[in-house]
Amino acid sequence: MKEFDRHKMGPFRLFIHQVMQFILHLPKNIVRLIVSIGKALKKFAVFCWRGFVSFLSIFIKGDIITKISYPIMGFGCMLRGQLAKGLLYLGAEIGFITFITSFGWNYLKDIGTLGVNPESEYIDEITGIIMYRPADNSMLILLYSVFTLVVILAFIAIWVMSIHASYRAEINKKQNIRLVPFRQEVRSLLDERYHATLLTGPTVMVFAFVIIPLLFMILIAFTNYDANHQPPGNLFTWVGFQNFRDVFGENLTKSQTFFYLLKWDFVWAVSATFLNYILGMVLALMINKKGIKGKKVWRTIFVITIAVPQFVSLLLMSRLFGDSGPVNIILQNLGFNTVPFLTDGKTARVMVILINLWVGIPYTMLITSGILMNIPAELYESAKIDGAGVVKTFMKITLPYVLFVTTPYLITQFVGNFNNFNVIYLLTQGDPKSVWLYQAGETDLLVTWLYKLTVQYQDYNLASVIGILVFLVSAAMSLIVYNYSAAAKREEEFQ
Amino acid sequence: MASYKRTQQLSNGVVYAILSIMSVVWLIPIAWLILRSFQAEKGAWITTVLPQGYTVSNYVRLFTETTQFNYPRWFGNTLMVAVFTCVIATLLVLMISYTFSRLRFKSRKAFMNVGLILNMFPGFMTMIAVYHILKAIGLYQSHISLILVYSTTASLSYFIAKGFFDTIPKAMDEAATIDGATRSQIFWRITLPISKPIVIYTALTSFLAPWVDFIFASVIMKDNYDKYTLAVGLYRMLERENIYEYFTRFCAGAVLVSIPITLLFIFFQRYYVEGVTGGSTKG
Amino acid sequence: MRKVLLVLLMASLLATTVFAAGQAEQPAEAVKLKVWGSNEDQALLKEMVEAFKVANPGKTYVIEYGVVGEPDAKTRYLEDPEAAADVFAFANDQLKDLVSAGALYELSGQFKDSVLKEHGEGSVGSATLNGKLYAFPMTADNGYFLYYDKSVIDAESLKSLDGILAAAQKAGKKVFMDLSNGWYIASFFLGAGGNLGIDANGKQVTDFNNANGIAAGEAIKAFAAHPAFLTGDDAVLTGGMGTVIAAGVSGTWNAKAMKEKLGANYGAAKLPTFTLAGKQVQMSSFAGYKLVGVNKLTKYPVDALSLAAWLTNEANQLKRFQVRGLGPSNSAVASSPEVLATPELAALAQQGAYAVSQNDVLGNYWSPAEAFGALMEAKDYSKSIKEQLDAMVAQIVQ
Repeated sequence: MKEFDRHKMGPFRLFIHQVMQFILHLPKNIVRLIVSIGKALKKFAVFCWRGFVSFLSIFIKGDIITKISYPIMGFGCMLRGQLAKGLLYLGAEIGFITFITSFGWNYLKDIGTLGVNPESEYIDEITGIIMYRPADNSMLILLYSVFTLVVILAFIAIWVMSIHASYRAEINKKQNIRLVPFRQEVRSLLDERYHATLLTGPTVMVFAFVIIPLLFMILIAFTNYDANHQPPGNLFTWVGFQNFRDVFGENLTKSQTFFYLLKWDFVWAVSATFLNYILGMVLALMINKKGIKGKKVWRTIFVITIAVPQFVSLLLMSRLFGDSGPVNIILQNLGFNTVPFLTDGKTARVMVILINLWVGIPYTMLITSGILMNIPAELYESAKIDGAGVVKTFMKITLPYVLFVTTPYLITQFVGNFNNFNVIYLLTQGDPKSVWLYQAGETDLLVTWLYKLTVQYQDYNLASVIGILVFLVSAAMSLIVYNYSAAAKREEEFQ
Repeated sequence: MASYKRTQQLSNGVVYAILSIMSVVWLIPIAWLILRSFQAEKGAWITTVLPQGYTVSNYVRLFTETTQFNYPRWFGNTLMVAVFTCVIATLLVLMISYTFSRLRFKSRKAFMNVGLILNMFPGFMTMIAVYHILKAIGLYQSHISLILVYSTTASLSYFIAKGFFDTIPKAMDEAATIDGATRSQIFWRITLPISKPIVIYTALTSFLAPWVDFIFASVIMKDNYDKYTLAVGLYRMLERENIYEYFTRFCAGAVLVSIPITLLFIFFQRYYVEGVTGGSTKG
Repeated sequence: MRKVLLVLLMASLLATTVFAAGQAEQPAEAVKLKVWGSNEDQALLKEMVEAFKVANPGKTYVIEYGVVGEPDAKTRYLEDPEAAADVFAFANDQLKDLVSAGALYELSGQFKDSVLKEHGEGSVGSATLNGKLYAFPMTADNGYFLYYDKSVIDAESLKSLDGILAAAQKAGKKVFMDLSNGWYIASFFLGAGGNLGIDANGKQVTDFNNANGIAAGEAIKAFAAHPAFLTGDDAVLTGGMGTVIAAGVSGTWNAKAMKEKLGANYGAAKLPTFTLAGKQVQMSSFAGYKLVGVNKLTKYPVDALSLAAWLTNEANQLKRFQVRGLGPSNSAVASSPEVLATPELAALAQQGAYAVSQNDVLGNYWSPAEAFGALMEAKDYSKSIKEQLDAMVAQIVQ
């Protein structure tokens, strides 16, 4: 824990030093990030190329049985005493072919156009009413094509594996090495290859429910899928980078709205995160102050507010501060004017930050009070001997200690607030709306705008462009901070 | 020394005052919720600050008038989804974080970074696609689909648990390996038993997710009221056509949901703190 | 060789199981349909469907019910058209979006004929787009008018907005209107003679920022700044009527609550006149209808159309009026003395003379109009009315 040597530095200097360090290293770290992404891609490309080369060379080197294993997967394994393994490979092949012929190809063949047949109608002779032949469904074509492509990639991987297995079997047979029995291979999944066992399930689930939808969503950004091109009645198709050009200037209202909301999003994320953090810590300090009785009771009072689901507490808040809500009624009864808490743009922005304090302070309190109790008492005693006051002790000992432990939490909070859908949507739905913004309101964050664009206005393509941009911002922030901060270095520290 | 004591008393007095004021501010919305759940008159908006009359019928009717808004059934649905999500998500998270923390293998770093990046995507951006995938595999409007998706989402937030496992000395594993234990045995018999705080934390957070999510569940369940979870059902009570009749019942239902969650939180808050801070504190 | 045979045998076995599983089941005889209705409509809907089954004994119907209110039908439909109901009710302002999404089954043959025969021009118009009929009119009550407290507002004050405001203020009460809502705020612009239409390219056009529009904007500003003005959502109106609210603009869906609150003082009337550049002008409104449409993707078009026709036929419209108090669109039922004697429906009929069809309003209109209303309610006068209206119109017509 060498970080603690720094507490000899002045309190403000330390904080400013840390902030400056972060900002100074930011360009360097961004470059490092890009370089490391590039390296990873290169590694991946090399890996694929090697795989391809060995795939070809095995075909040339292998005997007839290995060659037959190319079209009939697992053939070599089966003939060379690895029946179960071979059957698994063969089963995979049959399953794959069935999947492609009965499902995948129907969609994949149209990916270039996303469907061309519009809907057609005809008069049914018996009943005399209009009947329809449905149009191609561009959305399903795109979604299932992505799905099929992922399956194909997975199959290619299995195919390559099966050929390596066949070839290995051939070599082993030639050199008279006893084959690893199937049972033992299975057993290795509980030991040397235990990571494969543990990760397979989650990986499949993440592919199905995160990666495939994500690829689909990203591809939507390159189409004209909006309210006027809505399946199943209409087709949509590829438009290249048009949507990105719209957001970056070509469409004035859209790009203005984007940058306006981006700015507010940062203001919101910074103030929401840091105000909550500081004030929550102050609350924790007060509760943990020596001589304060009923610590458990105080803490429980604030914990209760965490436990009430946000969709209840925030909806109530928006009613409390409504134009004719109780707060305004009380103001009126006291002889004041009513305040448009949530209906005037500027007031509403301040209000959401304040109400978010109500939501966020208890969390920080809860987390930091655990940490505060952990600060070694000797640190405080030595400070006391040095004659340090309350503020000085806080700045010198408490803050650095807590900051050190909660850096990852703080980062998650920042990204979480940047994308804080719940608080904004439940409190104001992004309102009040503005005549200068495209389908957005003054308190909208990029995420809530995105949500409204899809659900209320069916502007899927614009929403997906925003989604990509939001993601780039959040991912860059967290990757940089995680990979080049104390949190990452700590990884091996204890081991 | 006397003056020191006096300043101490004075400053404690100030702290008590601030804490009391803050408690009041923090509890007012909760108190208002509870009062309105007993409100006798209908409607979401009343002309006075407090309700004029009080009744328990809002609570009673949640359980008696169930033809459309079937509160008991939603409660059961949510409980079931929550229990399964809790078990599956906890297992997944522990498996993933243990793998990343303890096992060394090719492309481990890549896997971890990909997981981290994916977790940065706001989930509901891909909701529509997720819905169609679930429909394609025949899980349309089913609780299984909710469990699957909640568990998957939870499994991506592995890094907190990983932080915890990182703090367990590796020497323990090494000793066990020498004794001939496989990695699987180490995980189940050695690591898990001493990981109580993180198991409880993960279980707690994944158990709570189904109680508070109203967006994804409503996308999956759509018009099928019988399959709703509590959050979706309660949210429906606030739609324009229902709010006048059902607002007070919404409050009553919300109070009833909050009670078990509050108890869980109060009971397990110690573990919650340890979880969030990745095991750096032993509170 | 035996091994090769074994492998081939296994492979063919696997293949047959896979293909056998892929075989589709024979379709059942029963006709499966899903119907959407609002929460309050469920009981009545089930009753009508049961009657439909009895009236068609030759077929077996399996009907599934989903709770989706008319205002949400479009959103829910577009989430997943395949999973949407075969027969569903929706508000007529969604017609355009539903048709352009290819959601609605065009009515033809006998179905079209009967709708044309039994409904007035307004109802038919609300379900017609580009000369094609897309739905069965169900109610003609989805517009708005004025609810008022007879003990506060007398017949004379009721005529003008200024009179109503003065009477309410004298009694220490408020006049409610949700100005931050494109639907209601349009009554001023349209009353001032504003145009909200669609040009040849299918784009929204409007002149709400011309001299008349600015005068209407000033009238809205004055109304919102009046001490007796009160805004909010439906909850505020239903909660405050009678106690703090003396009059409020809303629709028939609040009639029940209004009657409960006002009792003997319950009154409903057409919208008042307002002061436009010194003259009194009648407030306009949107005429709204609820329609029943058939999903174009339905597997049983004829049955779905028949059911939709059944749900909106004369007998069932009468029943809907009697049980739920909803205003019928069917000409015969609408002109029955029973209907005409209902205050809120009579008020709506009176307002009908000044109402404007909502068919030419596109999705781009709503949020800029709401934004302008919100500025007025928040009394944000940092920019002139003209600047604000210019910005609003720019957003609407883009």
